[in-house]
Amino acid sequence: MKEIEELNIPGDIYYSKEHEWAAKDGDLIKIGISDYAQDQLGDIVFVELPEPGASFERNEEFGTLESVKAVSEIYLPVSGEIVAVNTELEDAPELLNEDPYLNWIVEVRPNDIDQYDELLSRDDYLAMLKG
Amino acid sequence: MMTETEELKTTVLHSYHLEQSANMAEFGGYDMPLWYPSGTKAEHLAVITQAGLFDTSHMAVITVEGSGTFDLLQHSFSKDLLRCQNRGGATLTEGRSVYGLLLNSDGTVLDDAIIGQLGEDRYMIVVNSGMGSAVGAHLRELAQGQVTITDYSDKLGKIDLQGPASARILENLFSDPDSVLTDMAYFSFKGDIFPGGSAALELKDGTRVILSRTGYTGEFGFELFTEKAKALNLWQMILAAGQPFGLLPCGLAARDSLRAGAMLPLSHQDIGNWIFGYTPWSFVLPWDNDGESWTKSFVGAQRLLQSERDYTYGFAGYDPRKISAGSTSEVKAEDGTTIGKVLTCTTDMAIGRVEERIVSIATPVSKGRPEAYQPRGLSCGFVRVDRPCLPGELVWLVEGKRKLKVEIRKSIRPDRTARAPMAQMRSS
Repeated sequence: MKEIEELNIPGDIYYSKEHEWAAKDGDLIKIGISDYAQDQLGDIVFVELPEPGASFERNEEFGTLESVKAVSEIYLPVSGEIVAVNTELEDAPELLNEDPYLNWIVEVRPNDIDQYDELLSRDDYLAMLKG
Repeated sequence: MMTETEELKTTVLHSYHLEQSANMAEFGGYDMPLWYPSGTKAEHLAVITQAGLFDTSHMAVITVEGSGTFDLLQHSFSKDLLRCQNRGGATLTEGRSVYGLLLNSDGTVLDDAIIGQLGEDRYMIVVNSGMGSAVGAHLRELAQGQVTITDYSDKLGKIDLQGPASARILENLFSDPDSVLTDMAYFSFKGDIFPGGSAALELKDGTRVILSRTGYTGEFGFELFTEKAKALNLWQMILAAGQPFGLLPCGLAARDSLRAGAMLPLSHQDIGNWIFGYTPWSFVLPWDNDGESWTKSFVGAQRLLQSERDYTYGFAGYDPRKISAGSTSEVKAEDGTTIGKVLTCTTDMAIGRVEERIVSIATPVSKGRPEAYQPRGLSCGFVRVDRPCLPGELVWLVEGKRKLKVEIRKSIRPDRTARAPMAQMRSS
């Protein structure tokens, strides 16, 4: 298991308390899981993705990640409509372990862009992990 | 998220696990590795295709000696020691072991155990982590006649080497591997590390071990027992010998997924504080030829015959999706009635479905494995239900909004190597 100093936590994106990351991509926001999340989960063997077009509230469960031993829910850090899902994860769920930032999970059209600014910065997220 | 290692016990190999940055967690009162950086999927697959090495020093070993021992074991253990070899025709002998249950008088399971005969009136019993004291006390209370019970918990190193390459890896550790390994039967063992033993087995470097052809993965392999002071050196020797064979150190997550696919129970989860029912492991009970009664009396026997007993079955899903075992989930029949609960649910990463049939990465192509098969894994485990189910029957595992269709199975992972002939496993 990685020590906190060994984790990759990029500074140009935001994080949620549930260990997802969110990155602005024009009008849309890409969502994934942090390096801490993938390290804790271990080998991810199945990803349950929502349907494009589905809408979720902030902090609502939008899918699940299966590791060998357990199921983990993933929560949408900002409310909005799912405009794209990363279908590569259906055949290769291990991509989330290999590079959790390159391999996004869903892309969202946010209802309220202020919610993005309310997420945790890198420093806030690291502080939360250390605390 | 930090483990309270000051509160937990550790095995003699603990420093190795930490040095390797293993993901650690509590199990059975010990701080144990769940997986190493290679990850649990790689570890699970290594055991199926090559070999894996497990620190199992958290398990408890007890010796029982004295003229009253045989009667004590017959009285306390579910298996009839007079009828446990050669398909029930013969008695347990020196260098042989047998799997069974220690029941309480109310028919519930105290623990499962492997009993091996070391010599005349000398036996060793391997039970689960943290159970040495409880099992020792249970036996002491039942003992009549001359019996000495010694608990070796935390005094030994135990290492499991499992997978098709295991025997070839071990050859490098013995001066005369043929004398040790040739024709070594499943559930037999060699060596004796306890006081009063004469059948010593030594590695090239003089380390005394017990080498047992047993394990908890359902694959070909061995359990090795040695004195605590020798355990780390033994671990390193096996790792070094195993490197050309792709041997990986493996944690408890792989141990759990492998045993589940092999349909082996976990004590205090799949068997435990309920009356032992109709299960895939009813071979541990000493049925007579009619299958109506027992060949011997034993603790718990009466309660089993007198009580309403429920049903435990293995199951396999159709993809890797799982449900949490425990009180938040339910088992429902196709008509929607709740029939029970989930005892174990994990993923066997070595298997997948090929048109409904379960295929393993170890299945030969001639038997239906597609060329270059990459199994995605299947959920598998055990359910405990209130009515009989048939193999092939579909049931639903339900947790909140999550509903998984699974199939009741008599076996899960096919083409397992546990009983493979030694000669076959020693040829490359």
